[in-house]
Amino acid sequence: MIVVKNLHKSFGKLEVLKGIDCHIDQKEVVCVIGPSGSGKSTFLRCINRLEEAQQGQVFLDGEEVTAPNADINRIRQEMGMVFQLFNLFPHKTTLENVTLGPIKIKGMRKEEADDIAIKLLRKVGLGDKDHVFPGQLSGGQKQRVAIARALAMQPKVMLFDEPTSSLDPEMVGEVLEVMKGLAYEGMTMIVVTHEMGFAREVGHRVFFMDEGILMEEGTPSQIFDNPRNPRTQSFLSKVL
Amino acid sequence: MKKFLSLLLIVMLAIGMLAVAGCGGNEEETAITKLVVGSETAYAPFEMVDENTGDYIGFDMDIIKAIGDAMGVEVEIRSMEFTALIPALQNGQIDCAISAMSITEERAQSVDFSDSYFDAGLIIAVAADTKGIETLDDLKGKVLAAQIGTIGADACVAVQTEDPATEVKTYDHVGEAFMELEKGGADAVVNDLAVTAYYIKTEASDKAKMVGEVFQADDHYGMPVQKGDAATLALLNEGLAKIKADGTYDEIYTKWFE
Amino acid sequence: MNFGFTNTEWIFGTMILDKLNEIHGFQVVVNNLPNFGMGALLTLEITVFSIVIGMVLGLLAALGRMSKVKVINSIAVAYIDFFRGTPLFVQILLLYFGIIPLIFDATPVQAAIIACGLNSGAYVAEIVRAGIQAVDRGQMEAARSLGMTQGQAMINIIFPQAFKIVIPPLINEFIMLLKDTSLVSAISVPELTHTGKMLYASTYEAVWVWGAVCVFYFIMTKALSILGDWTERRLATE
Ligand SMILES: Nc1ncnc2c1ncn2[C@@H]1O[C@H](COP(=O)(O)OP(=O)(O)OP(=O)(O)O)[C@@H](O)[C@H]1O
Ligand SMILES: [Mg+2]
Repeated sequence: MIVVKNLHKSFGKLEVLKGIDCHIDQKEVVCVIGPSGSGKSTFLRCINRLEEAQQGQVFLDGEEVTAPNADINRIRQEMGMVFQLFNLFPHKTTLENVTLGPIKIKGMRKEEADDIAIKLLRKVGLGDKDHVFPGQLSGGQKQRVAIARALAMQPKVMLFDEPTSSLDPEMVGEVLEVMKGLAYEGMTMIVVTHEMGFAREVGHRVFFMDEGILMEEGTPSQIFDNPRNPRTQSFLSKVL
Repeated sequence: MKKFLSLLLIVMLAIGMLAVAGCGGNEEETAITKLVVGSETAYAPFEMVDENTGDYIGFDMDIIKAIGDAMGVEVEIRSMEFTALIPALQNGQIDCAISAMSITEERAQSVDFSDSYFDAGLIIAVAADTKGIETLDDLKGKVLAAQIGTIGADACVAVQTEDPATEVKTYDHVGEAFMELEKGGADAVVNDLAVTAYYIKTEASDKAKMVGEVFQADDHYGMPVQKGDAATLALLNEGLAKIKADGTYDEIYTKWFE
Repeated sequence: MNFGFTNTEWIFGTMILDKLNEIHGFQVVVNNLPNFGMGALLTLEITVFSIVIGMVLGLLAALGRMSKVKVINSIAVAYIDFFRGTPLFVQILLLYFGIIPLIFDATPVQAAIIACGLNSGAYVAEIVRAGIQAVDRGQMEAARSLGMTQGQAMINIIFPQAFKIVIPPLINEFIMLLKDTSLVSAISVPELTHTGKMLYASTYEAVWVWGAVCVFYFIMTKALSILGDWTERRLATE
């Protein structure tokens, strides 16, 4: 479903991605782990072109995302993204946060969008918070609204960039539960995370990234129980 | 809100009191050694700034320097807006002024004037291609330009009072009134003959012309001093008499007007 | 009929009024209140029209300044730099006597509005740009990641948030602009300061005339800042 070929990205002189190759199947949940600064976020952001790669290609269902003439605004609708810092729209209610995309981008009628949004808010456990502004929500609630907002565009794949890293520990669980639910429904997901438990339990495959290179990939048990690369071993020994 | 208004009134009153207190009594009489002279130095050929040296030059400047020389006092010129001259005298910021100022009854209520040192009059100036404006009567209903606070402006307002369709544009400096005439924003400029003649000669011989007769020819320039300042007044009058007697005045007159 | 004052206050007040009526400057001010009013009205008119022009130009210039198109960017930068980098007084004289006559025949009031509007636009542009840049980058990224175009994201996400940020500095700019309109008296616009100049030239009552002019300006700027506070509070509760 997603194919990445020889992806290179530099910020000025700093080479952050040094040729990434991978493919992700439909309904697959891939967790990306690795030390801080290894390029995980950059990798994710190059996939929906929030960052422009200097070299290499990304394909979504055979269509080249990185092509200069690609209709990136349409392609992005098919790739939902959830950020570490939520990035909810503070001047809109939670309901409006969720309906804004369908109404403004897809031209959906408000009633229809509201219906979908209410269903999604219920799904993430916030059916009663539709007229609340983001400022009045806890971190975990915000992140769940952000997930609902991304889902409202009915994407084919969801990109998560450390969705629980800025949450208080007691709120991590509620967000992971929502993500787990999505995975069981068959959503294709790429999740950059430090939650090794989630990666082991929910992930179909785990990517270990270090210094801009995809050092090792495999099933959770391959990576966590029998890491072959010494870098993976040393990283895991620190975090587990 | 009412309280606020009354407060406002009291503040204004307090300011007024301060002003009254500020114009205190005259200083002790001592021999004058220096004159601080106010002038609006943008009124050629009476007063202007020398483009090259930056000095104040002009007919008035030569006259006051000659008076200073004749009386053995130092003269310091202070450049200021024309409308600021009389208030500056009243506050004692300057000792006298020389600035092509006509002696009028109105002004004489606020200041004392020296003997007249120049006989002037008003003239109408129009664009070179203007026809049909000759007299004050012809100015009715037209757009007139003049300098704020001059008798030329008073003359314009008098025309406007007779015919409200007349528009009067007033400027801080006469140069802007002439510019307005040049760019077609005014039909006529009413101003001092000598200044207008000098301006047309030096700046706009092909763009503007003087029309009609000199009017208000009973216009005389004097040097104002603070009301009751007899010492300065005597000094100015004596000096003026001296330079008229010894031919210096005539030299200066010839230099600037012939 | 004591208008809510106590008797002592009332008597004291009338005493002050009697004293005031003996002062020439006070009479000058009172007799010319209608003239001050007309001047103040014109000041307000010039300010309002200049604000409208300034807002439109400022918004365009701010967007131009952030544009990646070289030509548009350079034009916006040149415009902003020129009008912020030279005195308004000089701009007024240059525009009225020099540049505007080449284009059309403007009245002094029109020229004043054009000059003040152009000048204000440059300042508004910088305020708007700062406001837009003060909105968290993540907001733009979230909007774009949903599939919004740059324009959609600007209109739906960035502008509404920037709007709240720019209100206080904008009100400040409008107050400055109102005061700066006093400079157009140089081109014979009979606004408040010009009214003061004329009256001062014929009465020499510097303190009373300029004091009254101050009071009129103060009332207008105070009204503007009250309006600003009110708008801010309205937005804050939303
Ligand atoms: N916009 C940018 N400009 C310059 N350098 C950047 C930019 N974004 C990221 N970098 C640099 O690129 C490198 C990789 O950053 P990235 O955010 O992809 O790492 P990461 O693996 O997500 O780390 P973390 O776990 O801390 O989020 C870092 O050294 C970072 O400083
Ligand atoms: Mg990261």
